[in-house]
Amino acid sequence: MRRRLTGGPAGGRTGGRTGGLTRRLPEAWRQPLAIVGGVVAFAWIVIALAAPVLAPHDPLAQELPRLAPPGPGHWFGTDQLGRDILSRVLYGARVSIPLTLLLVVLSVLIGGLLGACAGYFGRWVDETIMRLADLVFAFPTIILAMVVAAALGASLGNAVIAVLIVAWPAYARVTRGLVLGIREREFVLSGRLLGFSAWRSLRVDVLPNVTGPVLVLATLDIGTALLLLSGLSFLGLGAKPPSPEWGAMVASGVEVFDSWWVATFPGLAILTVVLAFNFLGDTLRDALDPRTARAIKERAI
Amino acid sequence: MALRSRRRRATTALLPVVLTGALALAACSSGGSSATQGQSSAGKTLVIDTSFDLKTADPGRTYEPTGLVVDKATYDTLLTFEGADVTKPVPSLAESYEMSSDGKELTLKLRKDATFADGTPVTADDVLFSLTRVRDMKGTPSFLLDGVEVAKTDDSTITLTSKAPNPALPYILPNPALGILNSKVAKENGATENADDKAEQYLNSASAGSGPYTLESFNVSSQVVLKKNDKYWGAKKPVYDKVVIRNVESATQKLNVQRGDSQVALNLSGDQVAGMGGGLQVKRTTSAYVFFLLANQDPGVSKITSNPKFVEALRKGVDYTGLLELAGEGSTQAAGIIPSMFLGALPADQATQRDVEGAKAALKESGVANPTVKLEYPSELTVNGLSFQPLAERIQANLKEIGITVELTPAPVTTALDNYRNGKEELGLWYWGPDFPDPSNYLSFLPGKLVGLRAGWKAGADKELEAAGEKAAASVTDEDRKQAYTDVQTKLNASGPFIPLIQPGQNIVTAGSVTGLEYHPVWTINVADLGAK
Repeated sequence: MRRRLTGGPAGGRTGGRTGGLTRRLPEAWRQPLAIVGGVVAFAWIVIALAAPVLAPHDPLAQELPRLAPPGPGHWFGTDQLGRDILSRVLYGARVSIPLTLLLVVLSVLIGGLLGACAGYFGRWVDETIMRLADLVFAFPTIILAMVVAAALGASLGNAVIAVLIVAWPAYARVTRGLVLGIREREFVLSGRLLGFSAWRSLRVDVLPNVTGPVLVLATLDIGTALLLLSGLSFLGLGAKPPSPEWGAMVASGVEVFDSWWVATFPGLAILTVVLAFNFLGDTLRDALDPRTARAIKERAI
Repeated sequence: MALRSRRRRATTALLPVVLTGALALAACSSGGSSATQGQSSAGKTLVIDTSFDLKTADPGRTYEPTGLVVDKATYDTLLTFEGADVTKPVPSLAESYEMSSDGKELTLKLRKDATFADGTPVTADDVLFSLTRVRDMKGTPSFLLDGVEVAKTDDSTITLTSKAPNPALPYILPNPALGILNSKVAKENGATENADDKAEQYLNSASAGSGPYTLESFNVSSQVVLKKNDKYWGAKKPVYDKVVIRNVESATQKLNVQRGDSQVALNLSGDQVAGMGGGLQVKRTTSAYVFFLLANQDPGVSKITSNPKFVEALRKGVDYTGLLELAGEGSTQAAGIIPSMFLGALPADQATQRDVEGAKAALKESGVANPTVKLEYPSELTVNGLSFQPLAERIQANLKEIGITVELTPAPVTTALDNYRNGKEELGLWYWGPDFPDPSNYLSFLPGKLVGLRAGWKAGADKELEAAGEKAAASVTDEDRKQAYTDVQTKLNASGPFIPLIQPGQNIVTAGSVTGLEYHPVWTINVADLGAK
């Protein structure tokens, strides 16, 4: 019963030049950026899982000399309270990465479901949901997130809710557009005529044909979500001290500007995670978009 | 194909970025050079960098630190302080003063040779008008003269009468907010002795005082320019032709003073001045700000912090030396709530010491098992470059060692102040800056008074302490006052809900050429004291 409109990973397994592991990967994933992104993202996930083993110090212990520059014993230096920045950055991965992933998954679920309903049922359902989305779109993202976070009170949980509120409409809009294009297709109509319920029709006929683009959007969005979350913490609306959250760490580093290491390393952590997931998102897009298939073939390693 | 076209697009897209960057750089460098040029052509100019806290230059309305710096330079007061010594007021526009034995009447003899910047003499009428104006205009500093009757006895005598003994009055009069205005000029420009006063706009464009400098231009958000008063009456003439006070944030202040763009930087933190060198002078003085922890005594707010044994555990549990380390050089531990340089301050050896075992024992006695308390503090406020966050995090770590879990709840200043003023905070981390350099200002920490109520400490909560407070308020001679205030603080330290923590340092960096700089607890710096080598 599966009827995909877009093909699977473009190119298949034909263009491989070297044997072994690389040949088993589709070409789209053999781009330099894809490999860098994949490796960095994987590394961060390992760090998040293994932080207690990897960190040389307790991230909350104020036992080292204050504002010591990077050197033996504290490779990323120490902050104004004498805490080891390396350990804090490693533990920070446990705070930021799971929350960001959770946030994106929730936005995809909520936004996707609402968008699919809007596109599939049309009429007043469509009008209500899409006007609501327009309402959110009308505000600058970070400002609206700040307002919501400030109204709910400062905490990481509330920051996630705030970002969720500003993030779902993007998915709703994309999903709606895709569903609109598909719902009049023969196979969907015939499914309905065979007596499928709306829910089954959405799940079996529509869903497989819209997942690709939404997945690309979601992967690209991981970076944005992390930036927004850290941004809220930077402004004091997210993580509560002394939690080692990257945005909050950058904020504390701004106060001691001379000690560049306090803000730089958490900043680099944010940068690498955002870049890694953006590379992955780009790769995914290239892989799912038949129009870029030829360019991929030229660049594949 | 696709690849090539994409690359070309990238280069064209980069072009505007590079162009704007170059333009911005050019703008920066030209701005810098023009500033230095202006400095050399104008002769002796002093540039002071500070983070502005400024609303107005009208002495009757100002009470912000930067406003006080400006008004101290442009207006004279009846009495003043010599250098940084705030324990003894000295004559300025008044040549002598005398306090009656009951502390209710202050008689001041005026000088005859003092003149305003326009050459007219300073008279008793000017004094009468200026002081009455401040009191009755209901501006921010009006409270300084609450309940004080001002009267002119003859052409050179002014008497200030209060209903209750007011021995603090000679310490209040040096406040630049009580600067003497040229009443004729002020009245012509809308000044009145009541709330209808409209002189603020005029006083923001020109000064009408007798101070060593006059106001040349005034901008609340960028800079204030002072010009030398050529006809200054005092013995010590102003040194600089022009003084520019600029609004600059602290990181930039450091850069500016290092490259010689400015000569004085007022708001550097202890960490920022640590690596200073290159012919710059660093003046580290203990400031009069006292950071303290308050534990709410209202059982309705918290059953935990209103427990006296719990407060004792807090007092013994805080690592004071650890906090001093965060505040940097120049800071000291606050022995009592009254800052170390004021009359009646507790000697340093009476400061509370950390006692982990004692704290654990007190916590056990309190009967509260595994307490969790919320500590509120303003998140974005800094005092002399020191922010509350690291202090709060250190206190949290200290108290964890003795078994108290502290949950930090930073809030923007306005929100946090609301909770603090309404007495809704379980634990609070705040600071108190003196309104005037006299210990009587600190009686507000007693039960039923301003700050006492903020800690949920109602009148009648500690009868003995309140009696000691009344005694201190009524004593007149310096010796009696010293004794009484020491007594109040010892009692407050034993049973009060306040835990005095530290007095942060005030770090002022000046160029090697600037002399005579002293930090003053009321007006930060007196521009007129600054000389040149």
